[in-house]
Amino acid sequence: MAMSEAQLVDLVIEWVRSNHRPGNSRNGEISAGTDLIASGMLDSFGFIDLIVFIETQSGCRIELTDVDPSEFCIVKGLCRITLRNQQN
Amino acid sequence: MQSIEPLEETVPPLRHGEQLVRRTDSEPRSTRPALAVATRTKHKGLIQGFLESTERFASRDALVVDNTNLSYCELRGRAAAIAKTILDYAGDLFPLAAVLASRSATAYTSVLGILGAGRGYVPLNPKFPVDRTRKMLMLSGCGVLVVGREALGQLPRLLPEINRSLTVILPDCSDTAELRAAIPQHRFVSSRQMSKGEGFAFDIEVNSADIAYLLFTSGSTGEPKGVPIHHSNVRPYIEYISNRYEVNEQDHFSQQFDLTFDLSVHDMFVCWERGACLFCMPEKSVMLPAKFIRDRELTMWFSVPSVVALLSKMRLLQPRCFPSLRFSLFCGEPLASTHAQHWQEAAPNSVVENLYGPTETTIAISHYRWDPSKSPQECLNGIVPIGRVFDGQQSRVVNQERSEVSEMGELCLTGPQVTDGYWNNPEKTRRQFVCFPEIGETPWYRTGDLVKRGENGCLHYLGRIDQQVKIRGYRVELQEIEVVLRKASGAQQAVAVPWPAVDGTADGVVAFLSGGSNLDDLHILNRCREALPDYMVPRNIYRLEEMPLNDNGKTDRKQLLKLLEGA
Repeated sequence: MAMSEAQLVDLVIEWVRSNHRPGNSRNGEISAGTDLIASGMLDSFGFIDLIVFIETQSGCRIELTDVDPSEFCIVKGLCRITLRNQQN
Repeated sequence: MQSIEPLEETVPPLRHGEQLVRRTDSEPRSTRPALAVATRTKHKGLIQGFLESTERFASRDALVVDNTNLSYCELRGRAAAIAKTILDYAGDLFPLAAVLASRSATAYTSVLGILGAGRGYVPLNPKFPVDRTRKMLMLSGCGVLVVGREALGQLPRLLPEINRSLTVILPDCSDTAELRAAIPQHRFVSSRQMSKGEGFAFDIEVNSADIAYLLFTSGSTGEPKGVPIHHSNVRPYIEYISNRYEVNEQDHFSQQFDLTFDLSVHDMFVCWERGACLFCMPEKSVMLPAKFIRDRELTMWFSVPSVVALLSKMRLLQPRCFPSLRFSLFCGEPLASTHAQHWQEAAPNSVVENLYGPTETTIAISHYRWDPSKSPQECLNGIVPIGRVFDGQQSRVVNQERSEVSEMGELCLTGPQVTDGYWNNPEKTRRQFVCFPEIGETPWYRTGDLVKRGENGCLHYLGRIDQQVKIRGYRVELQEIEVVLRKASGAQQAVAVPWPAVDGTADGVVAFLSGGSNLDDLHILNRCREALPDYMVPRNIYRLEEMPLNDNGKTDRKQLLKLLEGA
């Protein structure tokens, strides 16, 4: 069954809380609107790990070829891109 | 509101060039005589090509930043305002001025303005911890600091502990009342108080021995280490590279390096040398630049090889996806042959080159051109060769006794591009800049890089002879991290290990502690974050009862790596 946006957002937030960069202890601050890169929670390699996690959980491939970085760095934006790919 | 007027005694006389000559002759800079900077030819230095382009290509775009296009004429005008303000307010007191800005119009205009005022620039990074920035600012001895909007929030933490009075120029801030009240020892110049730069002719000439820029790299003692690059070092690079890649006004350059990384000097000044346009990549595009390359139709690409790894992992490196590129340059860390191959397929109209060069040798000093048919066989351990030094520069491979060897040894370099020593650090200078009596008095820079010279003279990078590593292209002395770790943790022993490491480069570091630390990891890492840039902060801390030792009684780093591999 396809995942809803809210479910995916929760999953992503949970993953980031467990895997964010050490020293950036902002567990309480992460939300659907958090910019994962600007906040320093993930670096580029952590971001790739997150993509792999989302692809595994959602069962679909995330296509980032033509998306705007300011969209895919936000939790909600990344989840929307994932679900858009799922529909296509 | 109290206005700040320029000091009468610091208003510059008309003949700035003469003042600069006097200052150069009277003040020692770095700690050895320059290698190839003995001649004191006067010219406009690093900024020369930019100024010529403003005459030839006045209406063409010079810079695209924050979705704003600035023509050569506009960029010159903004730089003139900063240059004139520096001269009006700070006079000719010190040869260097710092810029604390990133990826903004102010960042670029400040670099140009500082050079236009006949100063060398010292880039500071708003992404670095404030403590580190303060240390660099103090070590540089700058009397002038130009600050962009993106760093204004740092000033209340950065400036109070600096007792020397600074002139702080704020092109993006119209009201400095709060800053003046809070930090009265410094002079703040708001955008309203700045000169408009009208009529500023950029007629200041510099000596070839003057410093064009001063960069700080990681230092093994725990203090950042200053590397001064003179106009005479950087001009040969700009001219050689502009000719080699036949740069012209139709080119679109990537600009993805922070100003604190010397590869940014290539982006800016090779681009502006020939009237091309520089496209500043927003922070988020730096991470995954594929869309940016296509949208901006870039023709000249320059990055660390780690970017290729990222794009590859994200499946963004598809065959023929970057048709606009005509040159793709990689530098800063070992380039894996698989990455060169993938990039060549993605950018089939592009020449792919691997550049090599420590900061001390000015941006890059050797190159290797990738040939899909021959190069895979020329790679050693899956790493693309660093090739041959540029025309006019010299290399020498030596053993521990500093005798030249035909095969494997430490790479030493000399030539016009090689600087003359470290900033106010005679001891380190003596260690790294040496002479080989059998071939004369010329100082050579010992790179600390272990290389092998192939049969055809082509150089292959093998690794380091010390504890320096590259993390995502950034040069890192592990000892610097260890000093901070020991202070932060109270542990008797602290060891930093590059991890995970693939193809000769590392994604990050992890730390091992032993003896006497009861503080929790988060506390220690937060203290590290206050002192070190993000890429130097350990990702994890492991506790050991005792550090493993090798046969010489030193910490066995290989054993620590084995522990990580088994974790």
